[in-house]
Amino acid sequence: MKHNKINLLRGCFVLLFCFAIVTKTAAQTVRISGSVYSSGKKPLEGASVTIYPSLISTITDKQGHFSFHNTPADSQKLAVNHIGYASHEIVFAGKTSTNPIQIILQPEVKALEEVVVTDNSLIRAKKEASLNTETVNSSFIQRNLGGSLMQSLQRIPGVKTISIGSGSSKPLIRGLSFNQVIVVENGIKHEGQQWGADHGLEIDQYAVDRVEIIKGPSSFIYGSDAIGGAVNIKPVPFPKKNSLGGTVDFTAKSNNEQFGGSFNLFGRKENWFFDTRITSLDYGDYRIPAEIVHVYNYPVPLYKNQLRNTAGSELDLHASTGFIGEKFKSAFYVSSVYSKSGFFANAHGLEPRNVDLELHDKSSRDILMPYQEVTHTKISNTTTFNWNNHHLETKLGFQNNFRREWSHYVNHGYMPPIYPADMYAPQDLEREYDKEVFSVAVKDEFTLGGHQLTIGINGEEQQNSINGWSFLIPAFDQITAGLFAYDKIQINDLWMLHGAVRFDYGKIEMKQYNDWFASEITENGQTTSQYLKRSDNLTKTFDSFTWSAGVNYNPGKVSFKANAGTSFRMPIAKELASNGINYHYFRFEKGNPNLDAERSYQLDLGMDWQEKNWSLQLSPFFNYFPNYVYLNPTSELDIYYGAGNQVFEYQQSEVMRYGGELQFKYQFFKNLSGEILAEYLYSEQLSGSKKGYTLPFSPPALVLVGINYSPEIKNLRETYFSLDYRYTARQNQIVPPEKKTSASQVFNLALGTKLKAGDQDFSVSLQVQNLFNTRYLNHTSFYRLIELPEAGRNIILSLKIPFLIHN
Amino acid sequence: MKSIKFALQFFTVIILFTSCSSDNETVDTEYPAIDLTASDSFPIQCSQINRGEKISFRALFNDNAELGSYSLDIHHNFDHHNHSTEVNDCVNDPIKKPVNPMLYINSVTIPTGLKSYQAVQEITIPQDIDPGDYHFLIRLTDKEGWQTIKGISIKIL
Repeated sequence: MKHNKINLLRGCFVLLFCFAIVTKTAAQTVRISGSVYSSGKKPLEGASVTIYPSLISTITDKQGHFSFHNTPADSQKLAVNHIGYASHEIVFAGKTSTNPIQIILQPEVKALEEVVVTDNSLIRAKKEASLNTETVNSSFIQRNLGGSLMQSLQRIPGVKTISIGSGSSKPLIRGLSFNQVIVVENGIKHEGQQWGADHGLEIDQYAVDRVEIIKGPSSFIYGSDAIGGAVNIKPVPFPKKNSLGGTVDFTAKSNNEQFGGSFNLFGRKENWFFDTRITSLDYGDYRIPAEIVHVYNYPVPLYKNQLRNTAGSELDLHASTGFIGEKFKSAFYVSSVYSKSGFFANAHGLEPRNVDLELHDKSSRDILMPYQEVTHTKISNTTTFNWNNHHLETKLGFQNNFRREWSHYVNHGYMPPIYPADMYAPQDLEREYDKEVFSVAVKDEFTLGGHQLTIGINGEEQQNSINGWSFLIPAFDQITAGLFAYDKIQINDLWMLHGAVRFDYGKIEMKQYNDWFASEITENGQTTSQYLKRSDNLTKTFDSFTWSAGVNYNPGKVSFKANAGTSFRMPIAKELASNGINYHYFRFEKGNPNLDAERSYQLDLGMDWQEKNWSLQLSPFFNYFPNYVYLNPTSELDIYYGAGNQVFEYQQSEVMRYGGELQFKYQFFKNLSGEILAEYLYSEQLSGSKKGYTLPFSPPALVLVGINYSPEIKNLRETYFSLDYRYTARQNQIVPPEKKTSASQVFNLALGTKLKAGDQDFSVSLQVQNLFNTRYLNHTSFYRLIELPEAGRNIILSLKIPFLIHN
Repeated sequence: MKSIKFALQFFTVIILFTSCSSDNETVDTEYPAIDLTASDSFPIQCSQINRGEKISFRALFNDNAELGSYSLDIHHNFDHHNHSTEVNDCVNDPIKKPVNPMLYINSVTIPTGLKSYQAVQEITIPQDIDPGDYHFLIRLTDKEGWQTIKGISIKIL
C-alpha cells in the first residue's frame, strides 16, 4: 500500500518532468537593461524588476544594475520594487527601448504599505542563491497563522514542525530538527533549549516581518548547528524619516478559544528612530475530535474533547532604537518573550497518570501542574559602516533563556517518599535551566573585480546552570568560535559560482552533579549508602573545517542550481552527559561522552521554470552523515533512578537521506490559480544497532493541492479565497518507540482582503483549519507518541490595522 | 536548445536519485506482547495478596524476533495517581497518606535468542508495609528496543 503511494508520487514527479520537457519556449525577444538608484543617487542592490505581462523578473546587483536578455518584444511595462522604497513603474509606449533605463526610487513609510516582495522577485532571489531557500513575509504569516511561528510556516514544502500543544513548536526542515536547525533573529543565533521537543521556540510571530528558510546545510554561514538548515528572521525595516505610526493586530481562534493581539508604535526624526511592540495572547485547552485517547495502553477519557491542561499565555515586549546615517547605522534591540503553558496532565511523569478530574476539568483556561514557564530576554546591537565598496557589520548580543518545569514531586529510585523541608529547590520545581549567552560577530562584504566577497568571524560564550529536584542534563559552559570566507562570482550573465570555507572551534565543559539523596549500593556483599555521581567534570573540544561550492546557471526562463558542501555540529551537553528520566517520554536517557562532532555531506540541486501562466520548481537533495548522533532505544530497563523505565543511549551511526520538494503553479484565468506542492523524504541508518531503520520523526510524503481565487472587488485590494487540500501519505518507516501513522486528508479554507481606510490598508483574514473536523494523527507531532490526534476544526480571525499619526 | 539538453541531464540525475529507494520491510517494527491469559498467570487485574507471603509472578512473553528484558515495579496507589491498562476497574480504598509503602523494582535480562519466554519470579511481600491499593507494572522490551507496558491494580491485605 505504502509503496503504491510513494510510487504514485514518484510517477507524478516524472510526469511533470516530461510535461516540462516537451513545452516550447517563446520566440521573439529583446534585451532590456538599466540601473536603480535611491533618491540620494546611491545604487540600490536587491531591487526587484519585473516585466509585464510576461512577469519575467530579476533583482539588481551591487551597482544597482539589472538586465533581461529574452524579454518578449511586446512587453508593456516594467515595475521596480525595493524594501523601504515606493514602487516605480515605466510604461513602454509602443515599443520596448533597448537603451539602459535609469530609475530613482523614493523612500517609503515602513510597514504601512506592507513590504512589497512580489513572488517574482523572491523567485529571482532564490535563483541567485546556491542553496534552496524560501522567503515569506508577514502577510504569508497572517494568511496561514498557526499557534506559533513555525506552525504558520508549515505550508512551505520541506518545512514541518515538531509541536507540543497549540502554542509551541520546533522547526523541522527536511526531517531534521532540534540542534540540527539554527534559528537566527536580527542576525543573532537564537539560543534557547533547542534540544527538547517539549518546548517551543521563544519567538513572537507578530514581530516577524520577513523570514528566510534555508533548506540545507548552512554551517558555512552560521557555524555549528546549521547542519540541517536555517530559519533566518530578518530585522524589521527602519521607519521612514519624520514619521510616527504603528499597527494594531488582533487574533481570535475558536479551537482553543485564543484571544490575542499586538500593538506596535514606531517613529523617526531625521536620523534617530524608535520601534516598540507589545504582544499578549491567552488560550484555553485545545480540542481534538476524540472523547477518549490511549496514552500507550492507558485509556484517558477527555472532557468536552479538551486536551486537559494544554492552556497557556504569552506576553512579549520589544523595543529598538538607533541612528541611521548615510555611512553609519547602529540599532539596539531589546526583547522579552514570556510564555506559560500546561502539559497534557495525563502524560507526564514516570508513567501515564490518573489526575484529579474534578480539579482539572473545572476550567478549560486554567494552567495547573504540570506546566512550564519560559522567559527569553535578548539585548543586541547591529552596527554597519559603509566606505568605498566595503560594508562592515558588527553584531553584539546577550541572551538569557530561563525555563522552569513545574510538577508535583514524585519520588523514584532512592528518593525519599516525603520531600525534605530543607531542600535547595522548591517542592514543585521539577527542572530549571538557566542559560546566558554572549555573542559577537563581525563581517565585511566587499567587491573585488567580479567577486562579491564576505569574510567574517563570530564567537559565542554560554553559561548554563540547572536546578530542581530531578536531574537530566548537567550544568555546563561552552565557547564556540568561527572564521569564514564566502565568494560569489558572476562569470557572465548566465553563470554564477559560489564558494565558501569555514573553520570552527568549540569547547564544552560539563560540571559534576551528585544526587541530593543517598542510594544503597551493594558491592561484595557490603551495602553502603552513597550520593551517586550522575555527571562528571568533563571537558571536550571540537574543531572543524567545512566548505561549500555551488553554481547557478540562468539561461532564461529555466534556471538551474547545484551545490555541494559539508556541514558540522558539535555534540550538545544532553548528548554527551544526560543521565536521568525524561518525564515526557517515560524513558531513561543516557549520554555518551565519546561522541564526535557530527558531519554531513550534501548535494543540492534546484530547477526553476517560469512561463507566462505557469511555473515549476524542483529541489532534490542527497545527504550523507558518517556519524549522525542518534538516541538509540535499548532493550535495557533501569531499575534505580530510572524506576524500571527503558534506557535510551546516544550513539552515532551512518545515515543516508534523500528527497526533494516540488512546487507547480498554474494561472488558469486572471483571477484563478492553482498550485501543487509536494515533498518526499527518505532516511536510512546504514550502520549501528538500528541499521536499516529510519530516523525519528521522519516526515511522510505529502501533496498539497491549492486553489486560489482573487476577484477584483470595488474598494478592496488583494482579496482572496483559497482552499487547500493536504494529503499526507502513510508513514511506515519507523523506529522505536514510534508507531506507523496512517494517511490523512485535511482541508483548510482561507479568505481575506484589504480595505482602504485613508492612506492605510486595513487587512482582514479568516481561516478554517481542518474544515471537516477530521480525526488524524501527525507523525511529527510530539503528542503522536502518545496517540493524540491533531486539533479539530479551528476558525482563526485576524485583523491588522495600521495607523499613521504624522508623516 | 542548450537549456533543454541541460534540463534532460538534470532530470536524469533526479530520477537516479529518487529511484534508488531500498525496500527495507525486513526491519522489525513489532512490539513484544505480555500474555496474562493463562490460568496460572499471576498477578492479574484485582488480584489480592497477603503481607508476609511469598508470591510468584508468572507471565508469558512473546515477540516476533527476539525478546530483550523485562522489569517489574510494585508501588503504592494510595493517592489514586495510577490507573491500569486493563479494561475492568477494581474497587479502590479511600485516598490515604503513605507511611511505609512497599516499593519493589527489579529487572531481568531474558536469555538471548528467545521468541517466547515463560517468566517466573518470586517476590516476598514484607510483613511491615502499609496495606492498601498497589500498582503492579510490567515493562517488556525486545532486542530492538520496542517496549510494551502492562499496569495491573492489586490489593495488599
